Amino acid sequence: MPEYRKPLPVISALNRPFWEGAKKHELRFQRCNRCSKFWYPHGPVCPYCWSREYEWAKVSGRAKVTSWVVFHQRYFEGFKDEMPYSVAQVELAEGPRFLANLVGVKNEDIYIGMPVEVVFDDVTPEVTLPKFRPA
Amino acid sequence: MASFDIKDKVAIVGVGHTKFGRSIDRHALDLIAEAMQNALDDCGLRKEDLDGLCSNFGWPASYDVDAMAETLGLNLNWYGQTWTHGRFCASVIQWASFVVHFGLANYVACVIGQGAGPRMVGGAGDIEGRRETGGGHGESPHYGMTSPGAGAALAARRYFHRYGATPEQLAAVPIAFRKHASLNPNAIMRAPITREDYLNSRFVCEPLRLYDYCLVNDGGTCVIVTSADRAKHLKKPPVYIAGMQGIRTGRQEFIFGLPGLGVMQQEEFAYAPKPEQLKIYQTSGLGPKDIGALYTYDAFSFLAWVALERFAFCGPGEAPSFTQGGQIELGGELPMNTNGGLMSEAHMSGWNHQIEIVRQLRGECGERQVKGLEVAMWANAYGDALIYRR
Ligand SMILES: [Zn+2]
Repeated sequence: MPEYRKPLPVISALNRPFWEGAKKHELRFQRCNRCSKFWYPHGPVCPYCWSREYEWAKVSGRAKVTSWVVFHQRYFEGFKDEMPYSVAQVELAEGPRFLANLVGVKNEDIYIGMPVEVVFDDVTPEVTLPKFRPA
Repeated sequence: MASFDIKDKVAIVGVGHTKFGRSIDRHALDLIAEAMQNALDDCGLRKEDLDGLCSNFGWPASYDVDAMAETLGLNLNWYGQTWTHGRFCASVIQWASFVVHFGLANYVACVIGQGAGPRMVGGAGDIEGRRETGGGHGESPHYGMTSPGAGAALAARRYFHRYGATPEQLAAVPIAFRKHASLNPNAIMRAPITREDYLNSRFVCEPLRLYDYCLVNDGGTCVIVTSADRAKHLKKPPVYIAGMQGIRTGRQEFIFGLPGLGVMQQEEFAYAPKPEQLKIYQTSGLGPKDIGALYTYDAFSFLAWVALERFAFCGPGEAPSFTQGGQIELGGELPMNTNGGLMSEAHMSGWNHQIEIVRQLRGECGERQVKGLEVAMWANAYGDALIYRR
């Protein structure tokens, strides 16, 4: 396997269950036991009601693109074979939005509202990145 | 209306800077020392008079203020520093204002210097952008999401989508600021640009093009803040701070967008600010109609639109049309960034705009002078603002 040359996520006490879930090909976000909302970014309390009672619930993986950018300038050597590449803001069916790469779609075919679903890319033995493809 | 005891009680009395250039190859502290000397000369103070120091541009790009004080031989009664971002320019002036108003120090120098050294503009060298929380612009380097401009592009895409705005309309912003820079001998980029130049320029992070981006350059600036009482006895007419409001953050905010834009965790709605979200007008007793020239943090052209709507110069979705037809150019209804801004004069983290405001209100701006200017405003996409008056 060739050496993986892109940056890797910073894994911390706050986000470890997210990355452990991804490694098992499960997309997990925190859901509040008191107000039932999902949230992101990962945090120690529910940002809506400050409850500490929550679970790392598996989400459907269904989402839609709500914004996207296309990098024409190369900032990281590891992305040089994919220029120009896109990064999308996806909104999960459960509510939270986060950023990820899209796969299986040309840059010119991306649009706001495009339905997508999660796929998992095992980039190193330790790290799996959730990405999204057209659904 | 809340009382605002500090209104007109604080002033900027001295401004100074170095030459601005793409690569000056001098140490940041060398540039800072020169800018400070120029600001002291501008108001007739000596370095011994300075007893406060503040910056929004320390490690890792430049020098921290305590180290500055020791190396430059300053004895301070107060110092402060934000972490290193241009967005804290007005916050630094606000702190300095409170400090001189409440007597913690008499004269506060607000300084920055960027010399040969690291720049935090994305990629592997951007150590802040690679933190768990990134640099505050939506960084997510493992997906290749890096650089402040990418965050602006993400927000601009939402705005274009929501209001049907076009790149042709956005072109009016960099064209206006370049036109102003062509009248400014200090500006780095002075050759006028056309709409065709803009549309033909390469994408950096789509939908934003090269001409939507500010410059990256070296230089030093210094602005000296003191109380109105002390200001009256100095060399030049004081420029008073008539109103202010603070920088905003939270889940309903995104650094490069308006509330309601649907970036990150923001709700989606058309943002029309309520009076309590415009403390700047409540505190100053002034409103958009009183502003003779407007200055904004134009790291990216799109932020000019954000500032116009955030501070009610126009309604939701109206900034694209508001900026057409020379309205934001000298001679227009609301001249913006008459120095050429971060896009064409220099990226001095907004300090070059504060210096321009002071010089405009003193009537020192020659060819690009706004005639009869009484009141000018610094209004940021991030929600912070200052109103200055003669
Ligand atoms: Zn909750």
